[in-house]
Amino acid sequence: MVSLSIEERFSHYFLAMGAQQITEKPALATLSFVIEYQTVNVIVASTNHLTQSNILTAMLDLSTLRATSNQLYLAIPRVLGASIDAQIFRAHGLGLLLYDDRRIDEVVSPQTLPITDIAAIAPNQDLLATTAQLTELKSLYLELKDNIAGLKAELTSIESRPQPMTPSIEIPQPHSLPEQHVYTSTNALPAFFTNNPWLDVLSKRGRESTERFAG
Amino acid sequence: MALDNYRSSYTFAMDFGTSDFKFGPISCGENPQIVNNRGYFPDKKSVLYNAFESTAEVIVGNDVPLYMQSVEDLSTRLIYPMRNGVINRDDEPAWKVVSALSQFGLRTFKPPANDGFHGYYVVASLSAVSPRYMYERLLSMLKENNSDGLVRAVTVIPQPFAVAIGHGVTTCVVIESGHGNSQICPISKYPIRSAQVALNRGGGDANAITSEILKDAGYGDLASEESLVRRVKEAIGLVPANLDVAIEEAKKAPKRFRAKFKVPGTRVEIDLDKDSWTRFLIGEYVFDPNHEIFESYFGRGMPRPKDQKMGDTIFKGTLDFGDAIITAVEKCPVELQPMLYREVLLSGGNLSWRIPERLEDFAVDAPTKIRLLLKEKGIKNVTVKMTQSPQFSVWHGCIIYGFAVPDEYEWDWQRLEGWMKISG
Repeated sequence: MVSLSIEERFSHYFLAMGAQQITEKPALATLSFVIEYQTVNVIVASTNHLTQSNILTAMLDLSTLRATSNQLYLAIPRVLGASIDAQIFRAHGLGLLLYDDRRIDEVVSPQTLPITDIAAIAPNQDLLATTAQLTELKSLYLELKDNIAGLKAELTSIESRPQPMTPSIEIPQPHSLPEQHVYTSTNALPAFFTNNPWLDVLSKRGRESTERFAG
Repeated sequence: MALDNYRSSYTFAMDFGTSDFKFGPISCGENPQIVNNRGYFPDKKSVLYNAFESTAEVIVGNDVPLYMQSVEDLSTRLIYPMRNGVINRDDEPAWKVVSALSQFGLRTFKPPANDGFHGYYVVASLSAVSPRYMYERLLSMLKENNSDGLVRAVTVIPQPFAVAIGHGVTTCVVIESGHGNSQICPISKYPIRSAQVALNRGGGDANAITSEILKDAGYGDLASEESLVRRVKEAIGLVPANLDVAIEEAKKAPKRFRAKFKVPGTRVEIDLDKDSWTRFLIGEYVFDPNHEIFESYFGRGMPRPKDQKMGDTIFKGTLDFGDAIITAVEKCPVELQPMLYREVLLSGGNLSWRIPERLEDFAVDAPTKIRLLLKEKGIKNVTVKMTQSPQFSVWHGCIIYGFAVPDEYEWDWQRLEGWMKISG
């Protein structure tokens, strides 16, 4: 059995949760993923850095990733777990993962926060943008719906009002004539000339033979 | 056919309808101008008449209401010259109105000076039953009143002939039905005048039965106002496919057939309620007044349509439209008859009948009614249709005629066709 590196193990771990790994990750992050439109950055502390100061450095590194992440995880070897105050992670909204050769456990769940660095939005934020647009459209639709409901109510109110004493009278309009006819000479013939056989018949008046049925 | 550039600009048409006067040059496009075919003779002694600068003897156009004085004066001073399509030879007020209208129409479209204008080619249309003296009077009127040179040449054509031209069909039967009468006119490149049949029934008769219906329904005070009665007729009148069936159904279900009408511009509302079945009588009366149900109206004083001679024509009173068409067609050569039945064109406001929603099983339009009447008499496979533009088809036909007929085709009193040159 081929043994996987810790990074590969964490990749499998997040992929199993339905994450999609991002290749273009921040420099300080070991791994970056997108889980349900949330950007997740993970710093994996290896066993080569098993000191408190290194852990602290890793936590500070995580904090710098805050602007470009929705969720942040620090993954440390299980042997250091006893020396870590999980409350600190909770207070800062950071997630904590403990790992050994056999398992990976999530000890502290990260707090999901909005990304503040727009430029660092992961490429798959297209979905986020589309979702945001849909949300906006939905909001507009609801607003329109409210307006229409309001107009309907107003119309119903108007229709139910009693008729005024003086009825409105619609005065029929007389035929209209041009006050000053602007004469425009044109050679364009009206539509009723089109394909009219009488044009040919009448043009021969006085020139045709005397062939007629009656009259 | 060579395009006559001058007449593509300066052809002018006048349609003297029974209610409206439609006029305008070819540049009007699809729709001419419209004013009522009427004139008002104001009392010259009145203060109002002298307050206006105009000294015209007869007022026409949209200014007529401004000069109207009292309701009592309307019957003598407000003249509708062509209510029946025919003007009596010595009816001078009517002729003055026609003259005023034709001048009004031409002056409305007077081109600017130095526009290359040398007078319009004017085509006027008259009822198919107009006697020869009407042609004589109208032509001489336009010739004599041409001091401002607006007329270059003039001709007169029958309205059904203009309808066929406007519709683009060279062989057909045209049924023109207006306010006073209806005419059935076979056309085959020329009007077949010897085959024309005239009916002494029109929209005015539909108004008469509507008036009786309103009286029976308790609206006697409104029944005498002609313009109101006409609006009621247009709003509630229906043509039944079968009158007996329609009446039976309408009596069974009065709500479905309910006839209500609110007069625009007033608070007057008419509701026939359980008598709404009578709306079918209005349309039926136009197409076939021979049903026994109309006898009760005749018995109570409504005039029965009678045969009447006007000018040179005998107008049949009670001949239904089916028999009238058959009579006209059978006066034509046998070889022509099938072609005539293939194209029956309907024109005129009296043939514009609507079919309300939910009543399609009982009410029909005019083309369907005529097909049914002809089918009863054994004439099947007839094509009947309304003209594409019932209101303006005559005017369209006049414009086409004026544009296409050669300039050298001179007026002939035998043919009653051709150009009478006025100026230039």
